[in-house]
Amino acid sequence: MPARSLFSQSALPPPASILRWPKEVSPVLFIVPALVVYSGFFIYPLVKLLELSLYKWDGILARKFIGLRHYQKLLGDERFWEALSHNFYWMIAAIIVPVLFGLLLAILLSRSSMYGSIIFRTIFFMPQVFSSVTVALIWQWIYNPSYGAINVFLTSIGLEQLTQGWLGDSALVLPALFIAWSWVHYGFTMIIFIAAIDAVDEVFFDAAKVDGANLWQQFRHILLPSIRGALTTIILVTAISSFQIFDLVYVLTRGGPGDASMVVPVYMLESAFTLRRVGYGATVAIAMGLVIVGFSVLFLALRGVYKDEN
Amino acid sequence: MAKLSSPSRRKTSAIQSMAYTAIAGCLSLIVIFPLLWVIATSLKDRRQIIQNPLGLPEVYYWSNYADAWQEGNFGTYFINSILVVIPTALGVVVLSLLAAYAFAMFRFRGKNALFTFFLIGLTVPLGILIIPIFYQMASLKLVNNLWALILPQTAVGLPFAILLLRGFIQELPKEILDAGRIDGCSNWGILRFIVMPLSRPALLSVMIFNIVWVWNQFLLPVVLIQKASARTLPQGLSVFMGRYGADFGLLMAGATISFIPVVIVYVIFQRQFIKGIAAGALSGI
Repeated sequence: MPARSLFSQSALPPPASILRWPKEVSPVLFIVPALVVYSGFFIYPLVKLLELSLYKWDGILARKFIGLRHYQKLLGDERFWEALSHNFYWMIAAIIVPVLFGLLLAILLSRSSMYGSIIFRTIFFMPQVFSSVTVALIWQWIYNPSYGAINVFLTSIGLEQLTQGWLGDSALVLPALFIAWSWVHYGFTMIIFIAAIDAVDEVFFDAAKVDGANLWQQFRHILLPSIRGALTTIILVTAISSFQIFDLVYVLTRGGPGDASMVVPVYMLESAFTLRRVGYGATVAIAMGLVIVGFSVLFLALRGVYKDEN
Repeated sequence: MAKLSSPSRRKTSAIQSMAYTAIAGCLSLIVIFPLLWVIATSLKDRRQIIQNPLGLPEVYYWSNYADAWQEGNFGTYFINSILVVIPTALGVVVLSLLAAYAFAMFRFRGKNALFTFFLIGLTVPLGILIIPIFYQMASLKLVNNLWALILPQTAVGLPFAILLLRGFIQELPKEILDAGRIDGCSNWGILRFIVMPLSRPALLSVMIFNIVWVWNQFLLPVVLIQKASARTLPQGLSVFMGRYGADFGLLMAGATISFIPVVIVYVIFQRQFIKGIAAGALSGI
């Protein structure tokens, strides 16, 4: 058997024989299984999604081609815009609250001289492994108007006037859901921050201390510039994942009361399966996809830039 | 760990360390308190919940667990979840390892185009494809079948796994690979006896991330599984939640049943979990 020299990594350019049939075919064969599954169950639905958005269809009877009419309708659909605005509020809050809290915890666990930081890291990260339905169940109980921890606590310290019907109040439902979501997500930002902070060379901090820099100056001039790459990654990943918020909202409120907590993914399902406007639901999905693809492309591009720091 | 012995660390006083530990301890109540409270509630009967919602149970009411397990069908849901998670995670690992190996080590025509084709999957989340996936599964007669969950989740897990493993394989020391080649290993042999064992940490990260992600997946079963006997754990839990909305002791027993096994596995494998989830979450899905 002739020696195979198909490695692109070798210092020498690959010999011409590489293009001959028996050897050329083998590397592609390694990719075929993944390619088949990926094309069949990811790319095919993606193409189908674009197609569905061009048809009026109830999911059962014959469908009717209507061109871009659904897109036109989407532009004038107030319920869609309201849901989209909720997604954006959610996203803006998401890149502030869990990111700052995660950073604070990471600094505490990684830079302070505390005891048992590994144990605390394990505890703080724990909600991240729970299913969102478990999280929904826990928070539904916390927010329960009569016996939930928050209202019972407020009553017991004499602040009864502050008790609320958290998830049933159209002004409070989104913040309440957001807090439940943040209870999970900060663990992710914390872990990435810890990895980034641990990678900073201790020498810089020692030098700063010799120069008399206080804690804020150490943070501002050493820590923050060193973790800029991680910060970019965290903000973009948080933006992307928070924009897709579905599980918690679907389980706890289905977008209610009224449309007070309606978000685009819930609206998409409602349009396609409850109201049986499949084509319109597909159009909603595409609109949401465009926002996410925009952020993802930005993320991939920036991640290339900051590769070393991650 | 090395940092602890650096000069600046040694100077900080024990009092300061204790203060920091106390702060972390208080903050950790954010996680610990809800979980303990859920467990406490699960051990109370209705009267105790109404009279003393926040306190510890006076009488331990274990029957909530037996009732929840029976009423909630959690046994079936556990098995279904396992039957979805194992083939999906294995499928992603095996298929992505094969593809990543080819992308990392070989030159062939159309390689960059193919790789870019896979990268599309990193930008489009599974959620927006749920409508066409439902009609695809309907035409394949797979609605209410666990394969309806396995196939799309395997497909969507591939791009990131390939990206991660390709990067890892490219970093492997060339000398070992060359040695294998000189010893007469075939492409398959190099993959099997050199690349695979050396890639174990990366494979483990991919595996764990997919296990957690698939185990917790909710949108897909909500749309694709309508039959009670094929429900997965999160979906079954949400149905249980809808049905026993006012029976908090029972509900919290269900919640506890759903998180205790996860917590145990997580605490045992926490290092791998954190690594896997952090790596996977960077894919943005």
